[in-house]
Amino acid sequence: MRDDRRRLLQRLAVAAWVMVLMGSTAALGADTHPPLAPLPALKQPNPARVELGRYLFFDTRISGDGSISCATCHDPSKGWTDGLPLSKAYPGSEYFRNAKTVLNAVHANVLYWDGRLATDVFQTHVRDHITETHFMNMDGRLMQERIKQIPEYVKMFKEAWGAEPSFGKIRNSIRDFEKTLVSRNVPFDRFMKGDKRALSAKAKKGLALFKGKAGCVRCHNGAYLSDGKPYDLGVPANPDILNNPMRHFTMRSVFLALGVPGFEYLTEDVGYFTVSKVGADKGKFVTPTLREVSRTAPYMHNGMLNTLEEVIEFYNRGGGKSTNKTSVLKPLRLTAGEKAALVKFLKSLSGDEVIVSEPKLPEYQLIKNWLKVRN
Amino acid sequence: MRKRYWIIMPVLLAVVLGLLVVTQSDFAAGKEKFPALGPLGPVPVPTDNPMSPAKVELGKMLFFDNRLSGDASISCAGCHVPQVGWQDGSDICRGYPGTKHWRNCQTVVNSAYYNKLFWAGSSKSLEAQGETAARGAVAGNGERDMMEARLLQIPEYIKRFKEVFGTYRPQLKDAWRAIAAFERTLVQRDTPFDRYMKGDKRALSSKAQEGLALFKGKAECIQCHNGSFFTDEKYYNLGVPENPTFQNDHQHQITFRFEQYAKGAPEEIYRTTKTDLGLYYRMKRKEDMGKFRTPTLRYLTYTPPYMHNGVFWSLEEVIDFYNEGGGEDAIQALYGFSTKTDKLKPLKLTDKEKEALLAFLESLSGEEITMKPPKLPEYAVMK
Repeated sequence: MRDDRRRLLQRLAVAAWVMVLMGSTAALGADTHPPLAPLPALKQPNPARVELGRYLFFDTRISGDGSISCATCHDPSKGWTDGLPLSKAYPGSEYFRNAKTVLNAVHANVLYWDGRLATDVFQTHVRDHITETHFMNMDGRLMQERIKQIPEYVKMFKEAWGAEPSFGKIRNSIRDFEKTLVSRNVPFDRFMKGDKRALSAKAKKGLALFKGKAGCVRCHNGAYLSDGKPYDLGVPANPDILNNPMRHFTMRSVFLALGVPGFEYLTEDVGYFTVSKVGADKGKFVTPTLREVSRTAPYMHNGMLNTLEEVIEFYNRGGGKSTNKTSVLKPLRLTAGEKAALVKFLKSLSGDEVIVSEPKLPEYQLIKNWLKVRN
Repeated sequence: MRKRYWIIMPVLLAVVLGLLVVTQSDFAAGKEKFPALGPLGPVPVPTDNPMSPAKVELGKMLFFDNRLSGDASISCAGCHVPQVGWQDGSDICRGYPGTKHWRNCQTVVNSAYYNKLFWAGSSKSLEAQGETAARGAVAGNGERDMMEARLLQIPEYIKRFKEVFGTYRPQLKDAWRAIAAFERTLVQRDTPFDRYMKGDKRALSSKAQEGLALFKGKAECIQCHNGSFFTDEKYYNLGVPENPTFQNDHQHQITFRFEQYAKGAPEEIYRTTKTDLGLYYRMKRKEDMGKFRTPTLRYLTYTPPYMHNGVFWSLEEVIDFYNEGGGEDAIQALYGFSTKTDKLKPLKLTDKEKEALLAFLESLSGEEITMKPPKLPEYAVMK
């Protein structure tokens, strides 16, 4: 062979191998996500703080006009959500997204459907919920003084924190309570820890599909079953936002507050765009967890899918239609049996019901020797 | 002659000095050192917020619109009720749902003449006051973005804001400007006193005219309540008694502490004060503790109860208070130094003199200004 021809062939061979390697790493890339895993055990917080947090979670006095508590939208009997497609909001507003469950929120990597809060300081999330206009609209300084007016709380704070009630400790108490709102005795977790009978045959088949043909694991991975990344799936818009002026202006007020340009013209929830301000992110929402999913219908950021069957059907079709639709979704061609298996698997992600009773809340008391005591 | 010189000169000197003191004294009959009382002039209008009928009409709607608050349950008119002297008629203002306020609400009538608003002069204009009240935790609890987004959901407001302010979408700051313009129409320039000062000598009864003379003379009111607006807009501690509600009402105790915290009182003050420190919160100077801004006396008949904490339910009580030389200094009692004004002394007024003063004070209010709430536009679907 002539020298130049050999050299050309060698180069072509190298190029071919490079392409093969790139191609296979691309194919392997689909499996470079964190593996599914049981929930890690968290260090248990101080029980006195947990108990204090439980009281505060149900106490409407930590909202501006005293009308709603955390439990109003995160109802223990409704999977710690409110069971509605679109959540309630502070009086004078109505919300434009689905209320997420509080269960396992302490394990999340990113918070809110639009991913605007990281979780390295979870009590920031608690503060956001207490002070935001559309959530509880509470001035933290006034909240502190309300709690200080309740002798039983003052006593509980002294026991739990060795200090008087303060804005920061109120938030930390609620955070500590939420640390106990985690899944327990989850069949999937028991299976992953070695109990091969924890999942039925159908559920095992569902698990295999989840990791394989259905491809769910590409986004729903890790111990939290979420990669914490934003995607546009083409979920249809919820017409109740534009049809209900209260929801519409609440959405606009959030966009205005977060500096979304041209917010007044937006007719859809732009999701992650509120954070990145990058056009290609319009309509993207952060992957939620699938833990406890059987308890948290309806589904998606706008509650448009009512049942797990509807969700699977949605993915089976390859998602919906939209501008920034992710290329990850393709029609799955699942059989009826495969769909049923997937549902069985998803149900195995729910543990024992986390039941917390509402405490009897203590009353305000008059400080009788007002003139003599220190404030 | 020499001996007498030494007697006569000091005596003469004493007489001359005495005369000087008397004539220079604040209370010499007919001798005024203060801005003259007089008829109320035209309402001041800032150059950056001129009046127009359309702006006033928009401001009137917004004044009565509950949606300019947190939970959309309370408007300006919620605490400044037209039928109750444009305040709320209680000693301590009602506050936002779930809360109570800690001071007496002042009337909106003639508030346009103040240079500063609130009892400690915390707001520099009507425009600033409106926003502060709408956003206050124990007042409106409103938040800017939500209130502005609500305005944007109401087509009639979009139209009116565009007409008045030229904006393509309502700006919240223009809402306060419109409300201020509306408030600038709530003025009263034709009280019996005003008519008297403009020449109608029968506008004041002889009793009221006696009262006017006492006001400028023996009763010494004019020291602070002077000018055509009847206030020097300065700050004084009068020794107003505490309102017992802070010992009897848990909501008031909550708000009392909140206000110390919110107004930036230092730790030790937050812990120890049991009295409203007034101007101190703005100035952080001890000499300003317990001082409050002289309010106008116009429209007084419709605005009981009186003082920053509403402790006096009648003008008779107010007159009695001043007749005693004001009250005990709470700052002295709490912190051991006095900030009470030295302008107050027991007056030794007779009953007849008190009646005359009362008649004069009543002449500072004309007809009651009432108003029906306007019809407000609805939210609309906007796709």
